[in-house]
Amino acid sequence: MYRKIAGKIIVLFAVLVCLFAALSPVFIYKTPHRAKLVQGLYDSGDEYDVLLIGSSHMNGGLDPNVLWKQYGITSFNYATGGQTLDVSYYLLREALKKHHPDVVAVDTFYSAMTSPYGESGLVSNALDNMKWSANKVQATFHCVPPQEWIFYFLPALKYHFRWSTLDPKDYSYFDMSSYYYMKGYMSGTNRWGKSDASYVSTQKQAEIPQKSLQYLEKIIDLSREEGFSLIFLNFPADYSEYDAKNGWVDDCEALFNSVASYAEKKGVPFLDYCDKMDGIGLDFPNDMNNATHLNQWGACKLSSDFGSYLKEHYHLADHRSDPAYAQWDRDYLLSQAHDVLD
Amino acid sequence: MSFVSVEFLIFFPVVAAVYFWIPQRFRNYWLLGASYFFLMQANAAYAVFLAAVTVITWAGGALVARADRGGEAAAPNWKKLPAVLSLTAIFAILAVFKYLNFFEGLSAGLLSIFGVSIHPSPSDLLLPAGISFYTFQAATYVIDVYRRDVKPEKNLFQYALFVSFFPQLLSGPIEESRSMLPQFREVHRYDYDRVRSGLLRMLWGYFEKMVVADRLGTLVDAVYDSPGKYSGLPVLLATIFFAFQIYCDFGGYSNIAIGAAEVMGFRLTENFQRPYFSKSIPEFWRRWHVSLGRWFRDYLYIPLGGNRCSRARHYLNILIVFAVCGLWHGASMTFVVWGALHGLYQVIGLTLKPVKKRAENLLGIREDAGPVKIWRAAVTFLLVDFAWIFFRAGTFSGAAVLIRNMFHFRSLAEVANGPLIPGMNVLEFCAALAGIVLVLAADFLGRGCDLRKKLLGRGTACRWAVYLSAAVIILIFGNYGPLREAGQFIYSQF
Repeated sequence: MYRKIAGKIIVLFAVLVCLFAALSPVFIYKTPHRAKLVQGLYDSGDEYDVLLIGSSHMNGGLDPNVLWKQYGITSFNYATGGQTLDVSYYLLREALKKHHPDVVAVDTFYSAMTSPYGESGLVSNALDNMKWSANKVQATFHCVPPQEWIFYFLPALKYHFRWSTLDPKDYSYFDMSSYYYMKGYMSGTNRWGKSDASYVSTQKQAEIPQKSLQYLEKIIDLSREEGFSLIFLNFPADYSEYDAKNGWVDDCEALFNSVASYAEKKGVPFLDYCDKMDGIGLDFPNDMNNATHLNQWGACKLSSDFGSYLKEHYHLADHRSDPAYAQWDRDYLLSQAHDVLD
Repeated sequence: MSFVSVEFLIFFPVVAAVYFWIPQRFRNYWLLGASYFFLMQANAAYAVFLAAVTVITWAGGALVARADRGGEAAAPNWKKLPAVLSLTAIFAILAVFKYLNFFEGLSAGLLSIFGVSIHPSPSDLLLPAGISFYTFQAATYVIDVYRRDVKPEKNLFQYALFVSFFPQLLSGPIEESRSMLPQFREVHRYDYDRVRSGLLRMLWGYFEKMVVADRLGTLVDAVYDSPGKYSGLPVLLATIFFAFQIYCDFGGYSNIAIGAAEVMGFRLTENFQRPYFSKSIPEFWRRWHVSLGRWFRDYLYIPLGGNRCSRARHYLNILIVFAVCGLWHGASMTFVVWGALHGLYQVIGLTLKPVKKRAENLLGIREDAGPVKIWRAAVTFLLVDFAWIFFRAGTFSGAAVLIRNMFHFRSLAEVANGPLIPGMNVLEFCAALAGIVLVLAADFLGRGCDLRKKLLGRGTACRWAVYLSAAVIILIFGNYGPLREAGQFIYSQF
């Protein structure tokens, strides 16, 4: 008799799981983040020389269209707002299922996070848009607190309240290809107008939070297993708003000194653009969209410098004269880089 | 632990499965441990209060019984002393942790009338979850032993389970010791039909709470949390919605509690019996929060003299009982006024009864005529709903603003400029109305029959269609999840 009711409850749950798995794509927010991840991870047939992974700093800080226009390098920006290092690791593993880059650049800004988990809504930006796989299951187990796992396996349970505001694009999954020309990059067009209030040149070091260290290690291991070159990056930002009260280390300058030391020890190049602003001609008030994100002008300067670094240190082919890459030229004409550079 | 949580959805099946699996002699210990675990999930300190109330009343009951060994004939009989002492102790705990600030404020107000100025500093004491409910339930035991309605429970652990039984611990139903204690001595075997029936009841409870009550709460919160902001239709709708919100919230809680107990073989009191179909205020109180109404009737109203006294004293008894009932709900004068209003309705009803009878005879109105019943139900609902304004508003000034604004309708231009229904779009509003209609329809259809029994008697396809539809409706239209703040049960704060 126990089996009878247990069996029926299991069948009921199984039917509900199938139903909500099918409904989830309808309920997930149709954001540019979703568009770029679905394109970059699954739909695109392009081969990328370089993959760019990280937080919103990377999302609006490194433009693949600049790398293409100036150096003929193909790349895709997989960064999403609030992408923690653990999420970056699993997202990179997902991208590597289809793509085989020579170089992967990882934004290390979230290595300064002391909380064990990233903000749920921001982690969702990445995990909700990964297809069901063992990698997604592992990502959920490691990047999300246990009480929220179910909402990541079946996102319809998380976004069910959208039932009264769903619009036609939710049902049609909207035209994600229309975003592809940006290659995952999107930055603001505001000019911040203020100087960096937090920057102090220091030799101090701060302990890297344990979970960050663990995932920096995992990313390095992955680069060795998969045979790609790894670069760690940090983007210009005013750290004034980041402190221990907000789940962050108190002294970001000291923390990134430690990341630099760690990267040196591991033989991974670390480009800290916070320390190189003058070197690339970055004018903080004019080239920042806000206190912590570059605008399209700042992103062009940084992307240009990064492209030059890639050319100098890696053997990356220039595809600009290859007719197979003609679409990259057409995409460039639609891009923000075209507005800034031409 | 809230009934509306992933934790409870894991906790309950585990507790029920282990309950049936282990030998009978261990079952009550298992339930006792589970009940304390359930309570301590919110705050481990709550267990101290529960244990204190348990030990005090158990010892009180034992001493009462010991003093009463000689029966009525024995003299002197000092059994009143332990009864009074134990009841005073548990009500003192309740008074200190729930009402201290209220009484200090009240005293300061009264003294200021006589020119004495004191400024009590509000204390920030922990309000233990469920204390009003389990204090009242434990009190029934001492009184019942005193009245010789039950024999004293020798086993402290069994008694502790009576006070702490997790399905009814936080918000009732408040059970009487004479009906509940014997159930812990019964052998509850696994019964497929009973388990299925209990689970179905829980499903309905979740629907009432998550789909209906919490949706109605969106408009109610928007209007009642900013009393001066809205006028006319939104205030009227919010006031009507609150009547159904609190019904579906508390009714939903009760259905989950009764269903969970039923799965394990326990029978709890029906707390709601279609209250909004009542045709008078006294009838409403026989159908609304039945276990609390019964408690006040048996342990306050009748001891005060009930209706077997002078008319003036009878009316005073009614007013006292309902004012105390109001105060039980919360340490605020608005709750007292809410309760007193219900008392006043009944006193006025009794006073006007002869006039009403004469008028009905003169006009030839038959009480059992359909339109008369509908009229009386509508008037009763309006009176109950008016009183709810004080219950929900929180302050007298807020209630006054809402009552004044309720009939101040905005011009069409103003309506066009702002949202007609604050806090919800048209689809949400339609879903809210559909929820009310469904709950009322279930109440109406369930008058003379057990709807669950009817459903469970249907074919597999029909049953499964209902199970699946109910689950899908709750999961899509219900209020839950990391991006929505799950609505706390309203009665869990009492």
